[in-house]
Amino acid sequence: MYKYDDFDRTFVAERVAHYRAQTERYLDGKLSEDEFLQLRLRNGLYVQRLAPMLRVAVPYGTLSADQLRMLAHIARRYDRGYGHLSTRQNMQFNWPELAEVPDILEDLASVEMHAIQTSGNCIRNTTTDEFAGAAADEIVDARPYCELIRQWSTNHPEFDWLPRKFKIAVTGAQEDRAAIAVHDIGIQARHDDNGDVVFDFYVGGGLGRTPVIGPLIREGLPVAHLLTYLEAVMRVYNRYGRRDNKYKARIKILVRAMGADGFQSRVDEEWAHIKDSASTVSESEMERLIAAFAPPTFVTLVEEDNLESQRLEHPQFSHWLHHNVVPHKRKGYAIVTLSTKATGVPPGDVSDEQMDAVAGWADAYSFGELRISHEQNFVLPHVPRGKLFELWQAATEADLGTANAGLLTDMICCPGGDYCSLANAKSIPVAEAIQRRFDNYDYVHDLGNLDINISGCMNACGHHHVGHIGILGVDKKGEEFYQISLGGHSGHSSTAAALGQIIGPSFARNEVPDVIARILDVYVDNRHNEESFLHCFQRIGLDPFKERIYGNGN
Amino acid sequence: MATVIKQTPDGWTIDQDGSALDWKSAEDWQPGEALRLAGDEEPNPEFSSASAIAIDFPAFNDGRGLSLAVLLRTRYQFTGELRACGDVHEDITHYMVRCGFDSMEISDERNPQTALSALFPYSALYQASVTQPEPAYRRVNRGV
Repeated sequence: MYKYDDFDRTFVAERVAHYRAQTERYLDGKLSEDEFLQLRLRNGLYVQRLAPMLRVAVPYGTLSADQLRMLAHIARRYDRGYGHLSTRQNMQFNWPELAEVPDILEDLASVEMHAIQTSGNCIRNTTTDEFAGAAADEIVDARPYCELIRQWSTNHPEFDWLPRKFKIAVTGAQEDRAAIAVHDIGIQARHDDNGDVVFDFYVGGGLGRTPVIGPLIREGLPVAHLLTYLEAVMRVYNRYGRRDNKYKARIKILVRAMGADGFQSRVDEEWAHIKDSASTVSESEMERLIAAFAPPTFVTLVEEDNLESQRLEHPQFSHWLHHNVVPHKRKGYAIVTLSTKATGVPPGDVSDEQMDAVAGWADAYSFGELRISHEQNFVLPHVPRGKLFELWQAATEADLGTANAGLLTDMICCPGGDYCSLANAKSIPVAEAIQRRFDNYDYVHDLGNLDINISGCMNACGHHHVGHIGILGVDKKGEEFYQISLGGHSGHSSTAAALGQIIGPSFARNEVPDVIARILDVYVDNRHNEESFLHCFQRIGLDPFKERIYGNGN
Repeated sequence: MATVIKQTPDGWTIDQDGSALDWKSAEDWQPGEALRLAGDEEPNPEFSSASAIAIDFPAFNDGRGLSLAVLLRTRYQFTGELRACGDVHEDITHYMVRCGFDSMEISDERNPQTALSALFPYSALYQASVTQPEPAYRRVNRGV
């Protein structure tokens, strides 16, 4: 993991002091509500429906056990004993006191963390594959490049006051777990023919009210040019992105207005001026960052594990192995997803005790390292296979052992109308109603991989457009309704990402579980052998689902 | 009447008669005159002959003027006085300095002393900028 040096520590300490002074000026009445809003947003502080919400940055979703213990401490000391894992791999606290936020930031700084640029119209936390550095299908470990981008984008003099928020995602694996096609900039890291790392740039993807799959605008960019090319893209966006209408201000609108080719040539023109500037990435800096993410000291695990006999004895463990454990690049190790999606708990919510427990397991089983996934779960990236049973037992005890990673009940869900002041509708109760309706493990397991994504409004924090089943809360004359779409997905090696198709008129909240049941019936009736929900949908299309739900003639 | 704060060989100070320049819009401007630009103006090589350039910030959270300043300084080699005007908020001035502004018009509702004290909140800066043309990894021995 990356460790701060004196330079990073100095910067973060200065940032805390700066923000503390801004907060004091606000509390003294020297900054208006509107002025302070812009400043606090750049430090992750929203004012929500019930209280302020502080979003803590977890750069590219990577955390140490000690950092997670600090988050547990913050949940206890400043909040109501829990935090929320966001779909951008960060952690949110729902109940901090505005005046105490500088103290929280100071506590965070003591473990090399911060809340810088987790909101506001600036470059946000760069996200990546939650399995980076561990996944068997990894080509390039994206984390050193994410860290390079983090430092470059932090407190950038020119790009902190953009038309709108800006999200960058990087992946270096075959399967795209970072959803790069639906980011403002999505970067695929790979090797070129000489074995050198290069990047493919997708620009102008996004969700929200105008969902777009980002077009490819640059192929095979060498590492040396990563920051100058980003600078060129950002400058074109900062200068020409719309500022008159916040719903048309994301870069996707600019790319669409210029056309992908027009945008690309504008960026190339800009880039030609700065391509070989001092911001060219130096080899020594890249070596420093790559060294910071050197693999832990794996040992060659020779002894046989007892997984097969443990499986036979404990069917639940067997289910968990099947869904929550994926192959590691190193023999004898495994990657474990600790699901936060136990029925009855808002997806992504974790208590301080759970955080402490996960930190303990990270120390005991995963070299003190863990991840937050965009599916709002914890990941332990480097677990010896021989320790899986022990870990499963402990996780089950702590309500983090649900065997549902990737299944119907592992829903992505935004905080929705229970917390968020933007939401049109609640999302947490919808997730819970679905979990309660589908509480039969065998049925859920039989359905296989199925992403249900729920957003409480069209800002799409729950990524509903790329859910195999997407649920969107809408407001109809003051009442909460839910629009359902099918067939979305965020893409992987064999298929490009796709946006879901809306099935038809929306439903009242209490109808949603039944509608989902009917959608699943259509799938079960039509699937061929092991065909997944998504593949079945791609083959049979929307009509059979429409017919089952709305009847003929609709 | 707004107050101007300005960089001088002795550091940043309040410049009492700084507003006296005769600013021209891009349409009416002749080489050698003082030029006032909107943030979305296209820069032009001729502008480098201006006696001074002012860039207007219609709102303090509108960052276009920052990019325009960077272009004037780095691409068009404008070396004269570059002034931020319009909604110049004391919490944005530290970005302005790094984008090459050496003069700022502070409106009457704001305190120029506060603005002066807010120019340099950071000593550790990662990126290259107009005032620090090299990024930290070329300036600083990192990793210690």
